Amino acid sequence: MLSRTIIDHLQQRVGAGNVYHEREDLLVYGYDATPEIAGLPEVAVFPENREGLQAALEVSRQEGLAVTPRGAATGLSGGSIPFQGGMVLGLTRMNRILEIDEENLTATAEAGVITVDLFNAAAARGLFYPPDPGSQNVSTLGGNVAENAGGLRGLKYGVTRNYVMALSGLLYDGTEFIAGNKCVKDVAGYSLRDLLVGSEGTLGIITEVTVRLINPPQDKRTLLAYFRDIRTAGEAVSRIIAARIIPATLEIMDKTTINCVEDYAGIGLPREMGALLLIEVDGHPAVVADEAEGVRKILEKVRADVIRQAANAEEAAQLTAARRTALSAVARVSPTTILEDATIPRSRLAETFAEIERLKEKYAIHVATFGHAGDGNLHPTAVTDERNHQEIEKVHAFFSDLYEKVLSMGGTVSGEHGIGIAKKGYLLRQFGEGGMGVMRRIKDAFDPGGRLNPGKIFLEGASSPDVRIQGGVHD
Amino acid sequence: MTETSPTGNFHPDDAPAYESILQCMRCGFCLAVCPTYALTNRERSSPRGRAALARAVAEGKLEFTPAVRDEAFLCLDCKACSTACPSGVRVGTIMEFCRSQAQIFHPPSLPAGMLRDFILKRMLPSPALMETSMLPARLYQRLGLQWAVRRLGINRFLPGVLDKMEGILPTLGPPLRTEIPQFIPAQGKKRGRVAFFLGCAMSLVFPDVSRWTARILSQQGFDVVTPKEVKCCGAPHLAEGDRETARRLALINIDLFLALNADYIVTDCAGCGCALKEYEEILEDRADHERLRLFRSKIRDISEFLAEVGIRTEELRPVPLSVTYHEPCHLVHGQGLSGPPRQVIRAIPGVELREMKESNWCCGMAGSFAIKELETSRRILERKLANVRATGADALVTANPGCHLQLAWGVRELGMKQPVLHVVELLGRSLPA
Ligand SMILES: Cc1cc2nc3c(=O)[nH]c(=O)nc-3n(C[C@H](O)[C@H](O)[C@H](O)COP(=O)(O)OP(=O)(O)OC[C@H]3O[C@@H](n4cnc5c(N)ncnc54)[C@H](O)[C@@H]3O)c2cc1C
Ligand code: SF4
Ligand code: SF4
Repeated sequence: MLSRTIIDHLQQRVGAGNVYHEREDLLVYGYDATPEIAGLPEVAVFPENREGLQAALEVSRQEGLAVTPRGAATGLSGGSIPFQGGMVLGLTRMNRILEIDEENLTATAEAGVITVDLFNAAAARGLFYPPDPGSQNVSTLGGNVAENAGGLRGLKYGVTRNYVMALSGLLYDGTEFIAGNKCVKDVAGYSLRDLLVGSEGTLGIITEVTVRLINPPQDKRTLLAYFRDIRTAGEAVSRIIAARIIPATLEIMDKTTINCVEDYAGIGLPREMGALLLIEVDGHPAVVADEAEGVRKILEKVRADVIRQAANAEEAAQLTAARRTALSAVARVSPTTILEDATIPRSRLAETFAEIERLKEKYAIHVATFGHAGDGNLHPTAVTDERNHQEIEKVHAFFSDLYEKVLSMGGTVSGEHGIGIAKKGYLLRQFGEGGMGVMRRIKDAFDPGGRLNPGKIFLEGASSPDVRIQGGVHD
Repeated sequence: MTETSPTGNFHPDDAPAYESILQCMRCGFCLAVCPTYALTNRERSSPRGRAALARAVAEGKLEFTPAVRDEAFLCLDCKACSTACPSGVRVGTIMEFCRSQAQIFHPPSLPAGMLRDFILKRMLPSPALMETSMLPARLYQRLGLQWAVRRLGINRFLPGVLDKMEGILPTLGPPLRTEIPQFIPAQGKKRGRVAFFLGCAMSLVFPDVSRWTARILSQQGFDVVTPKEVKCCGAPHLAEGDRETARRLALINIDLFLALNADYIVTDCAGCGCALKEYEEILEDRADHERLRLFRSKIRDISEFLAEVGIRTEELRPVPLSVTYHEPCHLVHGQGLSGPPRQVIRAIPGVELREMKESNWCCGMAGSFAIKELETSRRILERKLANVRATGADALVTANPGCHLQLAWGVRELGMKQPVLHVVELLGRSLPA
């Protein structure tokens, strides 16, 4: 609990309306989209500018508060959950798009800008910002950078990292940093920028981001393929990649996912099918025609049960929009959805689907699978009920087995959602003590006191957030 | 196995179902569409935050505090979040339950409580009483004003409240309910028999609009039966957290309308339509299932009805007008009707429909919200009117009395040129003389 004096002081320096300390506020700044875990901060602060942010950090240092940066809290690994209470530092009120530089093809924006707003601002000038996580209508640019978010176009266009040119912000001790610039080439010193991308708010607080923009594709075509057996769909994906066709989008949904999405969107998806691939090729019209033809041939060869083309841009947009809702739609059927982010080399897709099926049976649990198949990035999602402790144990055992297999195939425990709180144990398995030790030293160099977003990434200390913290103020 | 659903710190009477709260997986998709969150950028004023507060109360982590009550009433119940939520969470409905809870945990002060009870339990259920107390209108405005100001027990007596109260209501004429013929025969080839659910606000404030509705139905070939014994649909009661009276009214209306043997029950008030369609849910396990289903199957909004049966356009005269359409929350989010009103507008010869940005964004009226939360409401309205202005359309069309009042007031305040019309008024202009 913080004293009245400290709250007053914060309110004076950051603005009265930007500091929350009532229990009803604190309760709703303790979660993100990660199931099962939530924390409770002692105060939540939303600076409107760099000065306000500096003031908030100064108070945190004086009081020894942990600071947890927070974007839109759509994170799926618990990154913005205040693990040790302290201060939640919301970035959503620093949300100006500062510049679209048409000469250098860049955009500069504050960290709280919503992803799709940046996309639209670029589009208004005939430019294209490709990273499009499923959460793009709400997620923030800062959150995207901190998680190195991917999206539906990741296969061809890459992930957030591939577009970040410069970052600036503050370290916990108040040091200002500027990492990167608008230069296309830059090998001066260590690339701090690349360290900060994907650092999950544990190294520094990002306040401004400069991204690269590109030309939008001139043309695109959207194909749909339905399969009775999901393994065939996996094989189709591997073959498309092996044929060196790189669609912009190559997404998969299994039967459960198809049905949940159809329940919500009602756009006529095939409820009886085992899997569906959503494929979008884009680029120069001639290339698009070529690639669409190439994809169709492969689909025919693996004997997809139905192959069809979206009738028009409207239908195509409807399909991708529907795909973006997959995770939330799956949540319709049960109170708790626990999703993972396993990623494997793409040649191993069919094998991975087979393993998921096998483990599903072994543990007798319900799992919906969807994901960025073209990236080898799958989201097997257990549909369960967190009140059913027995089943939850089985779910965790399922994922533990699955990750064993994923790692043995040269895969990774997170393709895009990050480690946060949820996957600390798995990360240790992937990197071992040696790798984790190096990361620890990097962390210490940025934040020696360990007060910036503690409890994340590293499996040390408490295993779950401290929720005994008292909200409110005392005199 | 799973534990039984707790009501935790909720009072067991009319507590929101725990499962309905737990359904929220906190993805945040709804943050992009919630008008109150857009204004405050405060998580607890967002659908996700409201669901989390309800969950904390249900799990005993939070008392039903004044802040929870305030969030329940700040929620516009516009249901935009229900449309946006892939998981099927209905935060607006959860907040309706919380408003019921508010009456238990934080009852209004005595005089304000008596006034609220008088309005909800006596005046609205009895059309005759309402009509007499509505005249003169000024009295109603004073009553409503005091009610609005006192009910929350907070000093909201800002100078603007008075102005808006007086400004928003037009001069009232005699209510349509007492004047409309109980039976109007179909014209031309008869296509069926329709019972017209004439809502309180339509009858009192927009009698001319509902006259058009009846004329159009008859002109389109339907016998129109309008029972005088109709009761308030119960929407204000649901919104203010008086579920008990809402259920009582619903039972009376169901009996009344099923006895009329009509093919359809049609309303021109989006708010009424929404409530009528919810009877099945609010009376679940309290009335005969088959009758509830039958009643539900007959309810249509006027646009939904016309689009479904098909508009006879042969006799329509051209109306050379460009219009833009504001979607009432209770039509688009509450009933999922986005296409039908547009179909009706497009069917009118000569009319050009110019889509505005964010046509399905709340106008800020939301029942008594426009008075209780004056400043918030004004900011929501300004956003709406800026989008209207950008279309340059000649007229602004909508389909709900609440939106109609709010938009008409806003248009006047800002000196904009667009008259506000109900869809049926626009269609009425093209009817043969
Ligand atoms: C339905 C759904 C679909 C999703 N789809 C995808 C997808 O397709 N691809 C994908 O990659 N992810 C996806 N996600 C996950 C999530 O949306 C992304 O991780 C997103 O980047 C998080 O952004 P945010 O603004 O919500 O950040 P938050 O969740 O608030 O924070 C995420 C992390 O970033 C840190 N952080 C936030 N802002 C800053 C800052 N300014 N400076 C420093 N650190 C900061 C936080 O401390 C935290 O560790 C999805 C999530 C949902 C709910
Ligand atoms: S209400 Fe629905 S859209 Fe909003 S956070 Fe919960 S699940 Fe997501
Ligand atoms: S009903 Fe409207 S105001 Fe209420 S939470 Fe949902 S979107 Fe927000």
